[in-house]
Amino acid sequence: MTSVLERELSELTTAARRYDARHRRIPKVAWPDGIRMAVNFTADFDAMLLRRLLNEPPMQLAKGEFGGRVGIWRLIALFDSHGIKATIFTPGRIRELYPEALRAVHASGHEIADHMWEHHVPRDMQLELDHLQKTGAALSSITGRTPVGTRSDHSLSLLKQEGFIYTSHECADHLPYYLTDADNRNEMLNLPFHYAIDDAMFYSFAWLGSGNAAQRITDTDRVFDMWWEAFLQQYHAGGYLNVCLHPFVSGRAQRIDMLDRLITRMQAMPGVWMPTCETVARHCLATHP
Amino acid sequence: MPWKDGYTISDEKSLADSDVRWPGGYRCCFSITVDLSVAGGPEGITEADLASSKAQFGLREGLDRVMEALGRFSLKATFATPAVMARLQAYALRLLTQEGHEIAAEGLRHEDVSGLAREDEAARIDLTTKVLSDITGRRPEGWFSLPRQGDPFAGGTISPNTMDLLIDAGYAYFGNGLADDIPHHWVTDAGARRSILTMPYYYHYDDQWFLLFPSKGTGLEHADSLFRNWRAEFSAQYRRGRHFHMTLHPYAIGFGHRLRLLETFFQFVSGSPGVWNATAGEVIAHWREIDPVPRSEPSIWRDYSGSLS
Repeated sequence: MTSVLERELSELTTAARRYDARHRRIPKVAWPDGIRMAVNFTADFDAMLLRRLLNEPPMQLAKGEFGGRVGIWRLIALFDSHGIKATIFTPGRIRELYPEALRAVHASGHEIADHMWEHHVPRDMQLELDHLQKTGAALSSITGRTPVGTRSDHSLSLLKQEGFIYTSHECADHLPYYLTDADNRNEMLNLPFHYAIDDAMFYSFAWLGSGNAAQRITDTDRVFDMWWEAFLQQYHAGGYLNVCLHPFVSGRAQRIDMLDRLITRMQAMPGVWMPTCETVARHCLATHP
Repeated sequence: MPWKDGYTISDEKSLADSDVRWPGGYRCCFSITVDLSVAGGPEGITEADLASSKAQFGLREGLDRVMEALGRFSLKATFATPAVMARLQAYALRLLTQEGHEIAAEGLRHEDVSGLAREDEAARIDLTTKVLSDITGRRPEGWFSLPRQGDPFAGGTISPNTMDLLIDAGYAYFGNGLADDIPHHWVTDAGARRSILTMPYYYHYDDQWFLLFPSKGTGLEHADSLFRNWRAEFSAQYRRGRHFHMTLHPYAIGFGHRLRLLETFFQFVSGSPGVWNATAGEVIAHWREIDPVPRSEPSIWRDYSGSLS
């Protein structure tokens, strides 16, 4: 009996260690001179594409459409007014729906990065590569070069092959860290974002498949307080925060106002750096290879 | 024109703040929808919904208190009214009309029409229109399909034919769209340049999602959060000179502490100079002048194998 239980323990710890081995942490990021903390403002600009992919009804599509018609423009104006360089994670298909908005994002010096072709990663590797390349071509037609970052579950092997240098899709640490795929190969830098610093968690019905009865909508005062506390904790630690926004969610007028107050308060602290994800990634790759 | 059929309903880009103009030099618009439906789910108003204290509260006390609050601050609202509620509240509807409020339609029983045959849906629109016209003495200009708490999503439901049928039936506007925070065009046929103006709706400014939702006894009573959402959004829209819109249900907002928050909010709005409070019908009539046709360019969408069409 004891040996069976021992094996159980051993299997569990082996699995945990195998997973742990796929992560290489950076104990402390040496930010550039005078910088105490980096904050990445990121926006997942999929408008109604995910709603369409899930075959949701017309009003759900219209809810997403707000992101392209209204929200993305307000976020660009907000970031520009604070001198922030943000990263806009964009499905390639958005190039055919909101080309004018993407040109404006690029013209303001923000980074346009990959967020899949139509907001899903095909299981078939050949089709996955096709989607990755389609997105690369669509986004480079706006920016003049293929994206170097992604927010997706795309295979790290394909991302490496296509010239990507970072991903931003999970949170195993406060700080940027390296991760590898299941075969323990294809190491890639991850810029972590936490679901508690994701606007849709607090403002969007039906988020991540939740029904109406599981709604969790709240107001901007409460989110302001939470996000400020999350910022302060990392500010004192000399760390990193990735703020995940969605144009169809945070583009609503009162939420833009809240972000305006939050950014003003963050920027009043000395040594807060708000560049693109690519800039943070290149810094980490150079100083903590 | 839709940028892409099946994806978008309207132009690529909304009107900029500086292009949003209101009549008479007003700087911001404030519109209120009062939903008279008591439907619990997609089937629309049932006998059980009506034979409930919740409905009774909404029909009598709740509606009286909401009308009183509107009257105290000289505010006009649009009442989204299912035909069955119009029959039940004929006296109230005539009174509301006399007081300058607008009566708009909300289905025969506020039912989900998304799976109905076109003829069936057309017959329901016709009868609803007739019931409301007979009671108020005027044809409704607007049609609503507001969300019910038991729906899968909080946006309201329509069928692929709804907008087309509303245009045929002579409706001037659809009452609850989510693609913008100002009125906008819902295009049904880009080639034929066929569209209907749509009023904005957003669940964050709709009382029903904050007040003992999803059912009694969950402890989810967030009237304070609802109030903060109203106040923050109104302030933001006022600064931009756009439009603030709220949705009220007399059975919900007409009670006690909630009513006091509503009055506190009305007080807050009335302290802001230059606010144009108008019914949806008035807003749409104005919109037809400043933004008469959808603006858009032809689609550049391409179909690929292995991709959604």
